[in-house]
Amino acid sequence: MSNSMIICKDVSKSYQRGGETLSVLDHLDLEMEAGRFYALMGPSGSGKTTLLNLIGGLDRPDSGEVTVAGAPLSKLGSGPLASWRAANVGFVFQGFNLIPVLSAFENVRLPLTLTPLSKAERKKHAELALSIVGMSDRMDHRPSQLSGGQEQRVAIARAIASDPKVLLCDEPTGDLDRESADQVMDLLVRLGKEFGKTILMVTHDPAAAARAERIVHLDKGKLGHIESNVGA
Amino acid sequence: MDFLTLTRRNLWRHPLRTTLTCGAIAMAVFLVCTLRSLVTTLDNSAVASRNERLWVQSAVSLFVSLPQSYQAKIEAIDGVDLVCKWQWFGGIYIEPKNFFGQFAVDPEKALSLYPELTVTEGSKEAFLGSRQMVLVGQGLVDRFGWKLGDKVPIMGTIFPHPDGADTPWEFEIAAIYQSSKPNVDNQMFLFHWDYFAETVETASGTAPDVGTYVVRTHPASDQSAIMREIDTMFENGPQRVQATTESEFQAQFVSMYGNVGFFVSAIGGAVLLAILLAALNTMLMSAREQTRDVGILKALGFSDGRLFAYMLGQSFALCLVGGAIGVSLALLLEKGISKAFAAMLPNYAVIPQTIVLAVGITFVIGLLAGILPALRARAILPVTALSDR
Amino acid sequence: MWIPFSYALRGLWQRKSTTFLAVFGLGTVVAILAGVLALQQGFEKLYSEHGRADLFVFLRPGATGEGDSSFPLVKAQTLIKSVPEIATDDKGRPLASMECYLAVRRFKVEGGETNVPIRGVQETTFDLRGPDVTIQEGRRFKPGADEVIVGRSLLGRIRNCQLGATIWINTTPFQVVGVLDSEGPFASEIWGDFNRMADALHREDPNRVIAQLQPGVDAKAFALKMETHPEVPAKVQTEREYLSSQTRALSSTLKVLAAMLGAIMGIAAVFTATNTMLSALAARTREVGTLLSIGFRPIAVFLSFLIESLLLGLLGGIVGCLLVLPIDGIRTGTMNFDTFTEVAFAFRITPEVLISAVSFALLLGLLGGAWPAWRACRLLPTEALRRR
Repeated sequence: MSNSMIICKDVSKSYQRGGETLSVLDHLDLEMEAGRFYALMGPSGSGKTTLLNLIGGLDRPDSGEVTVAGAPLSKLGSGPLASWRAANVGFVFQGFNLIPVLSAFENVRLPLTLTPLSKAERKKHAELALSIVGMSDRMDHRPSQLSGGQEQRVAIARAIASDPKVLLCDEPTGDLDRESADQVMDLLVRLGKEFGKTILMVTHDPAAAARAERIVHLDKGKLGHIESNVGA
Repeated sequence: MDFLTLTRRNLWRHPLRTTLTCGAIAMAVFLVCTLRSLVTTLDNSAVASRNERLWVQSAVSLFVSLPQSYQAKIEAIDGVDLVCKWQWFGGIYIEPKNFFGQFAVDPEKALSLYPELTVTEGSKEAFLGSRQMVLVGQGLVDRFGWKLGDKVPIMGTIFPHPDGADTPWEFEIAAIYQSSKPNVDNQMFLFHWDYFAETVETASGTAPDVGTYVVRTHPASDQSAIMREIDTMFENGPQRVQATTESEFQAQFVSMYGNVGFFVSAIGGAVLLAILLAALNTMLMSAREQTRDVGILKALGFSDGRLFAYMLGQSFALCLVGGAIGVSLALLLEKGISKAFAAMLPNYAVIPQTIVLAVGITFVIGLLAGILPALRARAILPVTALSDR
Repeated sequence: MWIPFSYALRGLWQRKSTTFLAVFGLGTVVAILAGVLALQQGFEKLYSEHGRADLFVFLRPGATGEGDSSFPLVKAQTLIKSVPEIATDDKGRPLASMECYLAVRRFKVEGGETNVPIRGVQETTFDLRGPDVTIQEGRRFKPGADEVIVGRSLLGRIRNCQLGATIWINTTPFQVVGVLDSEGPFASEIWGDFNRMADALHREDPNRVIAQLQPGVDAKAFALKMETHPEVPAKVQTEREYLSSQTRALSSTLKVLAAMLGAIMGIAAVFTATNTMLSALAARTREVGTLLSIGFRPIAVFLSFLIESLLLGLLGGIVGCLLVLPIDGIRTGTMNFDTFTEVAFAFRITPEVLISAVSFALLLGLLGGAWPAWRACRLLPTEALRRR
């Protein structure tokens, strides 16, 4: 399917833990369409985060192939993979993962240093990203001076600053209260609708998952069923 | 640019720790600079520029003098231009710790022998004019706050005053010189041989012998042939002599101190090892705290090489700031240390090579302290780094 | 309630790599100090331990050493014969010897020049010295012969010092017939017959007289009496006093060097120790919060951290001593500033050195731990518990 943004083919991944081999993903096949918002659900240990990391090129599968935005990731060395990540994916984590010593603005500008943009353009892009997430008035604050919801919005601004095709979100609302979580979800939905991002979000939260267009269920490393969410 | 900010802010995340580490590095670099400068100063005093001066001394002992009759005999040698008596007086100015060299010399010859000495205050004529006049180095003037016309009492230990061992010899400062070469001591106290010889004769009844004859050769003459001729001339006594070039004598004198270079290198090496461990410790602590940051940066698409350079850069920044403070300290305290060592080691100076060495050492420490964290930052998988709490 | 000692121990153990680096860093600093002190001890003990308390040295009044001391020959002879306090042997001969002494220029095997003490002694010297001076190889010089014996430490260091070689003293050749062994500074000297040396050096006057005193003579009173002796005034010291006085310049230089190195590197080491303890505190902020909230008093927390830091210092001290131990006994030579001659001796790790080293290390631990310990005990439990 030429419209597929993410293709996982026969992907397996296992970890060594305490001398035991723990199979996390077991010959998984999965395709995701461009421009859609997917929620990835499943019980703890079902391999959600592992799958997300493999798709984001943060980790490598034991076997199988992950192709994202047309790039077969196993063919990329660690250097090209890093450049590929910079250009194609943005990450949003549960714990926000902002660099504590940098201001909101500096955090958002950071990935732009990897682009050929001029200094003035970087500034513009970073400010734009912050305005999209509604954090323009807080851009000189350090992460420690922001609330959780605000931190997550800055993290989203950072993820979209270099305009990647794919956003990968790992429990983005996991550490947030309901109100902040709703704001973050509104934002993600808007990014998908208005900016055409392909979004893959790992979540436990049914309310959050309900905002996605498709819900992928994962169980014990195998693909369960995929729901189409008509409401979204 | 953002990486510089990141480096600066991360080092400043623990201001106290960074300050203390920089301080420790600064102390060590300061110490290494100072120790090294002691060695170079010692070596420099022996590295004379080529000159026409020879030193003729007893071959038996530095404590044995030569007959006065030798002067005429040496003067008669072909190629010898000038012979000047040079007698170590070994007196005490007020107290023994004010140690410096006093020499009874043929005054006019001495000045002609040492064109490196420029009279900066008073005059040559004033020095030559009267027997109790002395010519002193600027170094002594700085040490004791002397000025022209000052009367300086020196207690004779080897040569007691005729009025008794408790009576000091009296001198008057007629001129002050500045030495233009590091190998010519800036702390000499030169006085008239005639005054010396007559006073000694009054006291002991016999004319004094001569410690050293400083000989100037014609520029065109064969110095080694002249040295051989002098040595052979007195081979059968009464006192055998050893003629050496001035630089050779100074080098030999320095070698008498023993293997100072090795001793200092050993201490310096240990100091650097200690400080390397300190820097390494700080870098490891700092790197451990930044593991998560490394994961984030990698997730954002920064390459392994970039993170390697970033970590190494932090170590360099830490060490270079410390090193710069250490070198500045060494330069700032140069004058004070020079004063403190004035008696034992005149002309103490921090030479540019020492600074280059210190900077080089700082770089190496930065490299060694940073390489481990840097390699780790390069190798770590983004997922592993991100899962660090 | 006090926090058990094992808590501090466990603290160090938990952060092994940091502890290891800190201990070795401290150890190296301590080793530097100990190394310089071992040099100083080796030098000083060579003189002080081998000077005899029952042997007396007579110098010209006002002289600081035998180099600048001199007695007219006749006066020295008078002194030996006419001072009743000087002991005699079973044949009634005075147990005293004239010695002449000069630091002569010699060349080192490795190149460069140095000053070696040369000593002309009378036969009685060997009786006075007894087993302190032995012949390791060859034989003694014959009285009146142009022969010398050389100190063991000169072998391999100074040219022409092997058995059978010829040593020129001014215009006289002397044959090396024996190797002198002594634990003291004599092992760095050349000895020959008094009369032959005086002749070769053109100095008939002895530099000093050494003698044993009659049993029961009060040394202090005798010294006082000799100072103002109408005929032969002399400065009298025991040999031990005399030799100790010949170490002051270099000994104090080395002590100053050790103090300087200790102070500068000590500051660096205290900084390092502080860093280590601060990181220990950072790693255990929550634990400290727990301890404080369950009722341990701040002073207990303070002491616990201080003890941990002292332990760190102690370990550093032990490592420093272990690092420096291998240099014990290594022979080296240096210029004695007092005699202006080169003297050979061995580094000595004496108990004084070890005690200084460990005390220094503990001081570093104490100073390095004070601030972090203070910070620890001032933490507010609620705040400490909130921190990650």
